[in-house]
Amino acid sequence: MNTTTRCRKYAWSASALALLAMPALAQMHPERIAELEEQLTALTEQLGELKAELDEAKDNGSIETIRKDVEANKVAIRATQSSTAFTEATSVTHLSGYASADYVSVEDGPAAFVANFNPMFHFLYDNKILWEAELEVEVEENGDTNIGLEYTTVDWFLNDNLTLVAGKFLSPIGNFRQNLHPSWINKLPSAPAGFGHDGAAPISEVGLQIRGGNPVGNNGRITYAAYVGNGPKIEGEDGEIHAVEAEGFASDPDDEKVFGGRVAFLPMPNLEFAVSGATGDVAVVENDGADLEGDPKRGYTVFGFDANYRWSNLDLRGEFVSQEVDAAALSVAPENTKWETWYAQAAYRFGGDSNWEGVVRYTDFKSPHADDTQEQLALGVNYLIAPSAMLKFGYESNEGEPGEITDADRWIVQIAFGY
Amino acid sequence: MRTKLFTLVPIAAISAVLGLGMLAAQTTAAAEEAKATTQSDPMQFVNGSKTWANTCARCHNMRDPKSLRDDQWRAAIAHMRVRAGLTAEEAKNVLVFLQQSN
Repeated sequence: MNTTTRCRKYAWSASALALLAMPALAQMHPERIAELEEQLTALTEQLGELKAELDEAKDNGSIETIRKDVEANKVAIRATQSSTAFTEATSVTHLSGYASADYVSVEDGPAAFVANFNPMFHFLYDNKILWEAELEVEVEENGDTNIGLEYTTVDWFLNDNLTLVAGKFLSPIGNFRQNLHPSWINKLPSAPAGFGHDGAAPISEVGLQIRGGNPVGNNGRITYAAYVGNGPKIEGEDGEIHAVEAEGFASDPDDEKVFGGRVAFLPMPNLEFAVSGATGDVAVVENDGADLEGDPKRGYTVFGFDANYRWSNLDLRGEFVSQEVDAAALSVAPENTKWETWYAQAAYRFGGDSNWEGVVRYTDFKSPHADDTQEQLALGVNYLIAPSAMLKFGYESNEGEPGEITDADRWIVQIAFGY
Repeated sequence: MRTKLFTLVPIAAISAVLGLGMLAAQTTAAAEEAKATTQSDPMQFVNGSKTWANTCARCHNMRDPKSLRDDQWRAAIAHMRVRAGLTAEEAKNVLVFLQQSN
């Protein structure tokens, strides 16, 4: 007999014994059967109760409520996962910027609409390094579109208190140019005289900058910036220095860098005093509209002071900037030349949460050229459409050389939006 | 020679600052890591709200925390850290406040 046949024989024998034994086992434990019957009865009752509860839940909508809760929880879990991704992703990109549209009416001149927008790009990597850039896109009088690079910098967060800024950056001289000039921030539709192109205040610089800040005491703060850059270029015309172009150049014909910075002290959060300045050598590189090489180097100095104060709905600002190019006897434009400008501005938001704001600003810009010199009183009323959107109504009373554009009063209506 | 000195000295000074910065970057990274573990610290929210209220209005109207998503605030606050001279800790606190308020 082989093993398989033997196993089959044993299996049949065991099965037959088990069948014979079952009635005998049942007869041996009648109390156990009664116990099982009791349990069966109890379970049947419980099942009936559950069925009744289920029917009741169906009738009053509880099941639907539970189903919605479960769906809501799923959505919340997905949102949390998404939010976590937003919070913890290594790289972040952000498109920002501002735009404005103006209607400008000049005394004894044609009125016109103008428009521009400034897209800003931010790319942050791991809270260590930030690339940021801003373009300036505007419609010119002849209909062409003018595109300029306001700034492009790589900002490396060196430590808690210092950031290295490399590239083309807004000039840290003063406060208006680096912090207040965007149309959705500036409380008047125009920049103060002397704070625009070819004025007294530098616009931007190409080079390296380190900047940061630190709390002082319980409520105070100090902020600082120091930079080295290519410096401005000088334009000559008719034997005089016509303008200091301080708009950031990727060349340095005089091969001398300009060094500068700004230090601000805030004894309390709503009060700020700051001094700023820069010095270096510059040279005339354009004379009577033509490029010029070899004009002698000469000293260049810019100095600024600014103060800001906020109290309740009142916002006060003031700023002074002086820019000077030294004399150079052998230059095509040999004389010392100096520009100065200052402004004082007060803005008041009417009522507690009112959307209306009144602004007044006085500016005095002194240029070595009479046709650029301007004294201006600007009045404005703003309606705050949103925290970053304003409708501005402005009037400028301008005093300049008679017959020049600097002497013409202006009405400006502007809608500005920071996004 | 004098000119070269005037050029070299500030560049050397900047290099020194950068060197110190790189050394300090290690400390900063460790500090960031430590801060990441204390994100639920309610004082971050409180201090962030104070810094937000005291700093933003120095230049512009206060923007609604709901105006940007969490990730957008990260980039915006990094930008404002540079502009406003905030410390890393202050910027982190403001970010926590904005992300929990939007």
